[in-house]
Amino acid sequence: MADVAEEVASASSALTRGDLLKRGSAAAFAVSMFGGLAERAFAAPYGPLQFAHRQLSGELKIMTWAHFVPDYDKWLDGTYAKQWGEANDVEVKIDHINNALLYSTGAAEVAAQSGHDLFWFISPPSTFQKQAIPVTDLVQEVSKKVGRMTAVARKSTYNPKTKQFYGFPEGYAPDPVQYRKSLLQEAGVSLKTWDDVRRGAPKLKQIGHPVGLGMSNEIDSNMLLTSLLYCYGGFIQDEQNRVVIGQGKNRQGAIQALQVMREIYRNGMSDEVFAWTAASNNQAFLAGRLSVALNAISIARSAEDAGNQALSDDTWLASIPRGPAMRMGNEHVMGTYLIWKFAKNKEAAQKYAVDQMLNYRDHFIRSKYYNFPPWTGSIKGGFKEIRRIASQDPHKPRGKYAVLTTIAEKYTTNPGYPGNTTPVMDEIYNTFLIPQMFATVAQGKSTPAEAVSAFAARAASIYRKWHNQKLV
Amino acid sequence: MTRRQTIVTYLVVVPFAIVLGFPFFFALITMFKTNLDLANVEHSPYTYNDLAGHLHWDFWNYATLDHVRFLFEETNYPTWLLNTAIVGGAVVVITLLLAMPAGYALARLAGGWGQGAGVGIFLVYLIPPTLLFLPLSRLVSQLGLKDSLWALILVYPSFTVPFATWLLMGFFKTIPPELEEAALMDGASRLKALRLIVLPVSLPGILTVVIFAFSLCVNEFIYAFTFISSSEQRTVSAGIPNDLIRGDVFFWQSLMAATLIPAIPLALLYNAFLDRFIKGFTGGAFR
Repeated sequence: MADVAEEVASASSALTRGDLLKRGSAAAFAVSMFGGLAERAFAAPYGPLQFAHRQLSGELKIMTWAHFVPDYDKWLDGTYAKQWGEANDVEVKIDHINNALLYSTGAAEVAAQSGHDLFWFISPPSTFQKQAIPVTDLVQEVSKKVGRMTAVARKSTYNPKTKQFYGFPEGYAPDPVQYRKSLLQEAGVSLKTWDDVRRGAPKLKQIGHPVGLGMSNEIDSNMLLTSLLYCYGGFIQDEQNRVVIGQGKNRQGAIQALQVMREIYRNGMSDEVFAWTAASNNQAFLAGRLSVALNAISIARSAEDAGNQALSDDTWLASIPRGPAMRMGNEHVMGTYLIWKFAKNKEAAQKYAVDQMLNYRDHFIRSKYYNFPPWTGSIKGGFKEIRRIASQDPHKPRGKYAVLTTIAEKYTTNPGYPGNTTPVMDEIYNTFLIPQMFATVAQGKSTPAEAVSAFAARAASIYRKWHNQKLV
Repeated sequence: MTRRQTIVTYLVVVPFAIVLGFPFFFALITMFKTNLDLANVEHSPYTYNDLAGHLHWDFWNYATLDHVRFLFEETNYPTWLLNTAIVGGAVVVITLLLAMPAGYALARLAGGWGQGAGVGIFLVYLIPPTLLFLPLSRLVSQLGLKDSLWALILVYPSFTVPFATWLLMGFFKTIPPELEEAALMDGASRLKALRLIVLPVSLPGILTVVIFAFSLCVNEFIYAFTFISSSEQRTVSAGIPNDLIRGDVFFWQSLMAATLIPAIPLALLYNAFLDRFIKGFTGGAFR
């Protein structure tokens, strides 16, 4: 704990006098030569520089995913990061990789103790937290300027055991239901509750357009099925981050969720959902086969980008169905930056992360509303402004993206809710225990009660491991 | 060959050819498809259709070059091809330089334990890269080779050399030692005998090593992906799935084009040297 605090202090402390003199001379020379052109160039579209007192240098290497909106990456690399680098005298280099390979690449960098300064993960990478410097001071810095962090971001990246933020939330994606309006009307199906989905799934399958809810070893299945557990009150952890799914009401809720999913699968889906990748629901929906899928907005946006006007106009968005316990879903993506302990340019990494958050509006718009701000106030006007921007999207049905704001505001939480996204949850996600639990029940290989007991035992064992490491 | 034998041969070969050629045909068709044509499951995937799914005699007017253009203009694909050629070429040279003398020594000079050593070397080849990439990434990093093609050029021989050594060892054993002995009797040194007598006779085996090592370099993914993270330094095997699968969206047409293009020269290369390739692989089997 003391070590962690020291690291935070050292990482964020003021420069030494020697450093200041050296960098100050260089900065004075640069300013005298170029008259602060770069700073002005950056300041124009993105607002004034933060931390103007700090002088940075060197190279900043960032690893992030290949965003599903190619133009966002083009803008991020070619405009935003370039201008930020010019303004800060830092050469920014951003590498993009397929999101499915982020964890293995992160593991390789940890093994090599070398790699990028800022490493982006698609979901809170709490199993890596011992390899990263805490970013509590950065979180406080941003919070001071734009107000409170959202609960979903806080619970995703804060470890109450170490009392530190191990990761810096970069953005999150609400997880709406995407459905074919005409098909649901034709079949007379509603998606207000999970019971509606259970009763409607066979009708949709009968008209040739089944429901598409994955039970496979991939991230979408993880997110969807954990959300289903929440809706039925089958929480994996409690608020103190203890594993409780095998006990009392949680166990009953989990059993009910498994029963419902088994029924939806048997009457309304096909075997393919056990072999899906993260892209499968997109592909099946875009091919016109699926009537309902739970995913971030990449489905709707892909239909628009492909010029598939009919499908695009017929694709509507909605909040996750309500369950007997609540209406609550996981974020689809919680982009989280880690700054490795072995990062060579920690100072630039810290400033980049903070500046990105303080200039978030363009990130939200250019990602086509995929990237929601972890600090709502980082877009001036907060959710009200976010809703206004989203509702102006020109695609039909007009205003369909406005519901994302409702989902983000009311129905989005973190993996591990009502607790934090602990290393226990991260490992459960990385080993895909949740989809496997649902799949064994759906396939009739075990009863819901047996599956919950087996899952609870595995989760308890994972908990002990991380508890012994004093991370939970 | 009798008429009946010819018919039987074709009956066997033609279905195989169709099955094996189908992925290439499918990739070729798909790479020029419009998004709307591709996404609609009611459209035939083997032709180009209009919006209603109808086939026209001028079907090429319903195809598009946009996705191939995207591949070449919006991604680093040409650079990946070049990088792959550089890495493949360098690895082939290193592999030959190490595997030829090693294979020869094990076949001729190592005596009784040569066979055992050959098997041992082959077993090294069987250790999967999925186990090795973590420790190797530390090594690559310590050598300062991360994000450099040199990382691949130096690591790939770790799996091409054992296989090539084992393959060449078997091949060298098929060459009668009397040929070299005659050369030695005539005053040639061991190296000269190897260069002038053994290597020319071993050309099928060497060609097999060239093609095989190059193919392995083109196909390898884990090292290419782990050791290199910048798009401009990638090879095709790591660049394609990284830049053409974005989030959960697949750029299918560009993916098809990207995989088909390097497959064609490789297929032609295999075809051109097919006889020697088979001879190289089976050379050690009849001794």
